[in-house]
Amino acid sequence: MDFRCSFGALAVAAALTFSLTAAQAFDDSKYPDWAGQWRRPPGVNNQWDPTKPRGQEGAPLTAEYQAIFEANLKDQAEGGQGTDPTYMCIPDGMPRAMNVIFPMEIIITPATTYIHIEYLMMFRRIYTDGREFPEDTDTSFMGYSIGKWVDTKNTGRFDELVVETRFLKSPRAYDSSGIPLHPDGKTIVKERFYQDKDKPDVLHDEVTTIDNALTRPWTITKNYNRVRNPIWVEAICSENNDHIKLGTQTYMKSADGLLMPAKKGQKPPDMRYFEADAAKK
Amino acid sequence: MRFRVRSISLVQATTFVAALLLTVAGARAFDETKYPDLKGQWERTAAARWLDAKTAPFTPEYRAIFEENLKDQAAGGQGTDPTFTCLAPGMPRVMNMYAPFEIIVTPRTTHMLMDHIHDSRRIFTDGREWPKEMEPSFSGYSIGKWIDQDGDGRYDVLEVETRALRGPRSYDSTGMPFHADNETVINERIYLDKADKNTLYDEITVHDHALTRPWTAVKKYARKAVKQPVWQEAVCAENNPHVVIADEPYMLSADGFLMPAKKDQAPPDLKYFRQSGK
Repeated sequence: MDFRCSFGALAVAAALTFSLTAAQAFDDSKYPDWAGQWRRPPGVNNQWDPTKPRGQEGAPLTAEYQAIFEANLKDQAEGGQGTDPTYMCIPDGMPRAMNVIFPMEIIITPATTYIHIEYLMMFRRIYTDGREFPEDTDTSFMGYSIGKWVDTKNTGRFDELVVETRFLKSPRAYDSSGIPLHPDGKTIVKERFYQDKDKPDVLHDEVTTIDNALTRPWTITKNYNRVRNPIWVEAICSENNDHIKLGTQTYMKSADGLLMPAKKGQKPPDMRYFEADAAKK
Repeated sequence: MRFRVRSISLVQATTFVAALLLTVAGARAFDETKYPDLKGQWERTAAARWLDAKTAPFTPEYRAIFEENLKDQAAGGQGTDPTFTCLAPGMPRVMNMYAPFEIIVTPRTTHMLMDHIHDSRRIFTDGREWPKEMEPSFSGYSIGKWIDQDGDGRYDVLEVETRALRGPRSYDSTGMPFHADNETVINERIYLDKADKNTLYDEITVHDHALTRPWTAVKKYARKAVKQPVWQEAVCAENNPHVVIADEPYMLSADGFLMPAKKDQAPPDLKYFRQSGK
């Protein structure tokens, strides 16, 4: 009887606890604290591999894509943009977005983790609701990302977010040096996000890119430093963009807003539609 | 003895419950049951227009600017609509909701994610005061406060004020302008329909020196009834046919050549090519 009574009381306790659990669906104590603003460490520019100078990252490109990359470097040296597509305010896409040109915010909810990067208003939705990849979906620069939270230390708290991203569209490059990705839309990007074990204000993203322009998967690790009480600054790429693309040619805008050559000896753009207008008169 | 044991059991159980409650309450910092359920994908329920321009309480000066803008648009120009080169629409225009949007409620910030040009917003709800200095932006600086209007222990209205805006901005593509001083202040009340939790309202009041009085619009959004909504990426710059050269708008033809946006428009000055050809 005593046992029955205690058991009854415990049942009440359990029921109360259960209803509270159900009511408070988001137990944020189970997730790591990644609030705040994450920035590239000082001294790291926008190169893909932060341990090497931009353009000298030793990408394991196939011979075909190494040739494309080198032709791109030559074009850039002459004033062109090569295979870097972002000069016209096209989003970096994945994995380049993780260069985090402008600061990043990470918003964790049970069903989705959001990564919001101010530059080019790039945001990533990483679905952590247990879904599978769809059989087919529209491609996008940021891709379709599925994540899984992992409690690697069995502490009852997740400490690692493992992400896979597919359905990426082109053109994309790893950084402004123009290291190209294959345009076949088959890139797969795998990531491991985790806090530094000694420095809670340092976040790592180990990024492995699997792409048909590479001879093997290419892994690098990005590091970000946290600012606890951040100021968020708006960045509007198109506002003062001095690049203009007309047809296949790229030109520059002068300080007075006029068109000017981007390369030495570049011909002026074809004005046939104005001439057609004039001829009609 | 039996009674005593039973009493102890109840006391122990009560203590156990209290301890459990305390642990759970302490561990779970974000009690989302206090907030309205705004999850999912929201879409506008009307055209992406602010309000009928005829009802705009413009000062005579800004009414004239607006009329001039309409004339320019009729001639093929863009008038005072600045977004054609992928400039951010800014506040309050983003609330016209050009593409489906998502609201993420966290205790310190409510995020609005909109995949259009550069439309997303952060609304700080952490009790902060207005900073002494704010960098103006198209989205502005927004501070919100959750209100439990009916006293049922759950917030039902998000009141927001937005300041520190920059220009140029217009209310919609008709080009209805804001004052160039950018001293616009926007107050919003965002709440779910009491009878239909899949309908959201944003009551938006604009205070602006181009207006003779505050101007209020009520925007209505509908939640899409799908468990896993499809979010489509929108990249304004990707296929934008508009080009501005020396403040003149031009168009790009389907084959990528520059062409006039207006009748009899002269081609741009190509003097820098002549110089480089020397």
